Amino acid sequence: MSQPARFDQGFAKEIFSTVESGEKMKMCMQCGVCAGSCPLGDKMDYTPRKIFALVRAGAKEKVLGSRALWYCTSCYNCKVRCPRKVPVVDIMHGLARKAFLEGYAEKQNTATFAKFFWENIHSLGRIDEKALAQKYFLSFGLLEGAKKALGMTDIALGMLLHHRMKLLPGKAIKGKATLKQLLDAAVQEEKAERLAKKEVA
Amino acid sequence: MKEYTLYPGCSLEAGGAGGHYMVSTEAVAHELGIKFHEINDWNCCGSSFAYLGGDLITETVLAARNLALAEPLGHDVVCPCSACYKVLNNADHHMKDDPELMAKVNKVLARGGMSYKGSIRVRHLLDVLGNDIGLEAIRAKVVNPLAGLKVAGHVGCQTIRPHCEYDNPEAPKVLDAVIEALGAKAVKFPLKMKCCGAGLVVTEPDACYDLDRAILQSATENEADLIVSPCPMCQMNLEAYQGKINDKYDTNFEVPVIFITQLMAVAFGLDPNKAAALNYALVPVKDLLAPYYKNRAAAAH
Repeated sequence: MSQPARFDQGFAKEIFSTVESGEKMKMCMQCGVCAGSCPLGDKMDYTPRKIFALVRAGAKEKVLGSRALWYCTSCYNCKVRCPRKVPVVDIMHGLARKAFLEGYAEKQNTATFAKFFWENIHSLGRIDEKALAQKYFLSFGLLEGAKKALGMTDIALGMLLHHRMKLLPGKAIKGKATLKQLLDAAVQEEKAERLAKKEVA
Repeated sequence: MKEYTLYPGCSLEAGGAGGHYMVSTEAVAHELGIKFHEINDWNCCGSSFAYLGGDLITETVLAARNLALAEPLGHDVVCPCSACYKVLNNADHHMKDDPELMAKVNKVLARGGMSYKGSIRVRHLLDVLGNDIGLEAIRAKVVNPLAGLKVAGHVGCQTIRPHCEYDNPEAPKVLDAVIEALGAKAVKFPLKMKCCGAGLVVTEPDACYDLDRAILQSATENEADLIVSPCPMCQMNLEAYQGKINDKYDTNFEVPVIFITQLMAVAFGLDPNKAAALNYALVPVKDLLAPYYKNRAAAAH
């Protein structure tokens, strides 16, 4: 006799209660409008519709290890078109953040870039596009990074020659320290909320 | 004189990838009688990467510091950048729809002596130009009608989505209406709402080149002379990566991509460099637009 399929309901429950807008995933009826509307859906390992099905099936490793979470361009097609008003993009972002915090995203380029993006926000309060790109390319190691960066020198040079890149490092905003304080406080607030929700669950 | 609070965003800063958007926006605004008050000491909105640093409260706090700084000025906040517009407008909507969230965000903002009550709105520059200022007022400023110029208006995702407050995301009209108010022809452009890949062009270039090739193809096969955009990501991706796309797909795209405000500056007869910022173009556009500069002197600038 074949083994009955085993579903781990715990993972779905954890996602519903702790991921941004996760509760609304229950409204998904698997119609696939999100998948068909996604600009990079054909390049994802699992489309958003499949990701939602995998969450329900308890496939934690597949979901959090998925490339799809890092292929979202934030175009908002899925959210606007969903017939059940599921905020698909917000849930994908929530899942991406969970994957990042739990160490599933170390090899995902977009996660690495987003991490440096936030470092820029914390250190300057604004984005210095040149510094961000440099940091990102160097994260691949000196050789690989130099190769990747060299592949883009024509674009970088063009931008520099047409007033579209700063020569000097970006300047920090005056309220940099306060902003950092506010963001830290917000993250702490969310941590406390998540803990409270977990205890209830 | 219409007054607004301006949130320029990182791309529009001098030396940013969209510096030419700022130059042309200021010039066109001056011409149309718009007075901008820039938010003092604004911070980055978080763009499409805000989600990595926190959940809804954190994302909203990052955006709301700007709204709190803007609110005392009393005017609507105008974002020329579509990502900034999406993020700030999202934060504004989330707080107005959910008083509990607004209270939480204000509790955090209070640590910096700030608060947001929600007495202002967040607007895209395209909405302000097309709807507040209006097509009649734009038409009235045209000294160089762009007759015969075929323009593909690429609207882009976050220019309208997710709140879709001033245009239809499936069949947008405002950008084309502004193009036609300048005397140009807005060509049929089926992929005008297709995503350019935004910031993912850096992290997943091959996937994004596919998107941008399709958009460029859609514009050129409808015989567009150039593409105009109201978004710094779309403008950058569609213009700067044409060489990479040509290498990858063996195509030969060389289509100028400029901001709608640059095209307006040309039609208004304003200085090609100091106002229209045509010298910022990576794909040359000056020769294409030179024939329209007949009445530059008439514009008293």
